[in-house]
Amino acid sequence: MTDITAQTAPRARWLTRERIIKWAPLLVLIVLVLLFPFFEWLEDFRESKEHLYLADSRFFSIRNAARIAIASTPALMVAIGVTFIIIMGSIDLSMEGTVSVCAVIFAFAFIGWGGTLTSWAWLAIPLALLVGAVLGFINGLVHVRLKIPSFMASLAMGFVGTGFALLLTGGDRIRVEDDLFRSLLTVRWFNFPIMCYVALAMLLIAWFIQSRTTLGRNFYAVGGGEELAHASGLNVSRVRIMGFTLAGIFFAMGALLAVGRIGIAETATGNNFMFISITAVVVGGTALWGGIGGVWNTLVGVLIVNVINNGMVVIGLPSYVQDGVLGLLVIAAVVLSTDRKTVSFVK
Amino acid sequence: MSFIKKFIQQETVSRRNFLLASAYGVSGAAAMRMFGPSPVQAATYADPTVAWSYRNRTNPYWNEIVSGGEAFVESLGKSKDFLTHLINEGSSEKSLADVKALLAKTNGELALAIDTNDAPNARPVVEACAAAGAYVSTLWNKTDDLHPWDFGDNYVSHMSWSDEKPAEQTARILLEAMGGKGGVVHLGGIASNNPAIERLQGLKNALADYPDVELLDAQPADWDTQKANQIMSSFITRYGDEITGVHCANDTIGYGVLEALRAEGMDIPIVTYDGNPQAVELVAEGKILATVFTNPHWGGGITASLAYHAATGAFKPSEEPNEHREFYGPTIMVTPEDALEFRANYLDNVPTYDWKDFWGPSNGPIMYK
Repeated sequence: MTDITAQTAPRARWLTRERIIKWAPLLVLIVLVLLFPFFEWLEDFRESKEHLYLADSRFFSIRNAARIAIASTPALMVAIGVTFIIIMGSIDLSMEGTVSVCAVIFAFAFIGWGGTLTSWAWLAIPLALLVGAVLGFINGLVHVRLKIPSFMASLAMGFVGTGFALLLTGGDRIRVEDDLFRSLLTVRWFNFPIMCYVALAMLLIAWFIQSRTTLGRNFYAVGGGEELAHASGLNVSRVRIMGFTLAGIFFAMGALLAVGRIGIAETATGNNFMFISITAVVVGGTALWGGIGGVWNTLVGVLIVNVINNGMVVIGLPSYVQDGVLGLLVIAAVVLSTDRKTVSFVK
Repeated sequence: MSFIKKFIQQETVSRRNFLLASAYGVSGAAAMRMFGPSPVQAATYADPTVAWSYRNRTNPYWNEIVSGGEAFVESLGKSKDFLTHLINEGSSEKSLADVKALLAKTNGELALAIDTNDAPNARPVVEACAAAGAYVSTLWNKTDDLHPWDFGDNYVSHMSWSDEKPAEQTARILLEAMGGKGGVVHLGGIASNNPAIERLQGLKNALADYPDVELLDAQPADWDTQKANQIMSSFITRYGDEITGVHCANDTIGYGVLEALRAEGMDIPIVTYDGNPQAVELVAEGKILATVFTNPHWGGGITASLAYHAATGAFKPSEEPNEHREFYGPTIMVTPEDALEFRANYLDNVPTYDWKDFWGPSNGPIMYK
C-alpha cells in the first residue's frame, strides 16, 4: 500500500500551489479567449443558426487576433516600462505625460527634419527615446535625491509632462503621414502588422535586461528587500534612477507606436495609458509590493485587458455595463494570479 | 518690498469690500426677488477685467473657443495676456471656486465668459457674479429654469447649440452615400454629455426615413481618438462587411475610425462633427463625407464681448429682447464640394469678426422641450 502512495506523490507535487499561481494569469487569458466565443455561440444558438464553436467564431480568428495585437502594442511598451519600477517596489505614474511629450517632440522633429524615414527625419526616433530617457532620469532624481515617494514624484512629473506637451502644441494635433513610417500599421507580415514585431523585439530586449543583466537582477534585489540589498553593498539610489530612466525609454517606445497606430501626435496621446498599464502589470501577476513577476507576466496582463475590451464589444455587451464588467474581471484576475498567502497585510 | 505690502493691503481691502458687497448682494437680491425682476441699477465699469473660464486647452475645440476670446481682447487694443484664464479641468467645484476668487480680486469689476462645466453649476456661478456686480455670459451649460432676464443686467446672455438637426443632416448625407441600405454603426461621445445624446438622436431621426438601413451598434468612444480606434476594430470583428457606413459624434472620433478602417484596408463612408481644420482637410480629400462647423472661434469671442460690452455699459442687456439673451450658435455644414472654399474663408484666414455684431451669425432663440 505504501508503494501506491509513493507513486502518486510526484504527480501531486507537480501541481504545487506555487506553480498554479505562477501560471494562473496565462490560464485566465486562455479561459477568456475561450469564453468570448462561447457567448457568440450562445447568441447564434438562441437564433438557431449554424455555428461550430471555435471555427465560426468572429472573435477567435486571426484577423481579430491582429486587431487585439495592434491595440496592445503601445500599451505593452508602457506596461513593460512600469514593470521594472513595480518589481523594485516603487511605482511610476508619469507615463501619460512622458508619452505625450515624446510623441509630440517626435512628430515635430520628424516633420521638421524632412517628414519621411528616408531623410534625416529618422533621427527623430532616437531623439524621442532620448527624451523619454531624460524625463525618466529627472523623475528618478526627483524621487531619490529629493526623497519624495515615487508615487507622488512620478505623478507630479506626469502632470509636468502633460503641461509641457500642451505648451509645445498649443492644443493642436500633428499628423505624421509618411507612408514608410505608417507601414508600421499598414504593412503586414503573416497577418500581423510590423508594429507587432517591433513590440515583440522590444519585449525580448526587456526580457534580456530583466534576466541577463546585473541591472535586471538588482531590480529584484531592491524589490525583494531594500535594506538587505543596501546592506550587501548595492547602490540602491543608482539602481532606482536607472530603473526610472529605463522605464522612460520604454514609455517613449510606446509613444512611437501610438503615433504609428493613429498617425497623430497630440497632448491627448498619453491618455488612458496609466490605467491600462498599471492594471495589466498587476493582472499579469507582478506584485505591487515588489520582487515578484516580470515582463512575460506583463505581456499576459496586457493581452488579458485588451481581450476583455475587444471581447465585450464583439459579444455586444451594452456599453453601460462594460466598465463595470472590466472592473470585476480585473479583481477576479488579480485574485487568481497573485499569491497573497505570503503577504501578511496589504497597504 | 513696499509694493508687496501695498498689494496685500489692497487685497485685504478688496476682500472686505467683497464680503460686504456679497452679504448685501445676497440679502438685497433676496429682497428684490419678492418685488419682481431686478429693478437694481447695475453699476458699469470703464475697464473691467475680462476672463474666460473653461475646461482646458488640450481639447482642440476649447482651444478654438479661447483663441476667439483672445482675438476679442486684441480687438480692444490690448495684448492677448489681458484675458484671464480660469481653467477648471472638468471640475465644477474648481470652476465656482475660481470665479469667486476672481470676483474677490477684481472687486466685481469683471466681464466673465464661462462654461460652468455642468448645468447645475451655472446657478451658483451666476448668483455669485450678480451679487458682486460682475457681468457674466454663459456658453453650453445651464439648467432650463435659469434665464438671463431673471438677473437684470448682470447675467448678460447664454449661447448653446442644438446638435440634433445638424447631426441628422450629416446622417442623411451618409445614408444617401450608402445607397439607402446596409448597416451603420455610431461612435458617440461621453454617454452623459448632452451633445453626445443629441448627435445620436440626430442619426436615429434620419434612420426613420431609411427602413433598409440597420443601426448595428452605438457605443460611447468618449470623444477620444485612441478609444474610437479600438472600438471600431472591435465593431469590424463583430459585424465585418455588414458595416457600410460610420456615423461619428465628432472629428476626433472620426480620426480613430479612419485609421481602424485603414488598418483593415476598408473604405466605407463616414461623417463627423465639429469642423476642425484637419477634418475639413479630410473632407476636401473625400475621406470624410461631411462635418459640421460650429464656429467655436466666434462663439468664444462673442461670449466674452457680450459680457464686456454689458460691463462697460455699451449696451443694456435688460433692454434687449429675450432672443438676444438666450440663443443658438451658428452651424455650417462642410461637404467635399464646398470644403476648399470653406477652408479659405474660415480656417486659412480666421475672419476678422465685428465683435459688436452680437447676434448676426446666431441661430435663433433657444427652444425648451
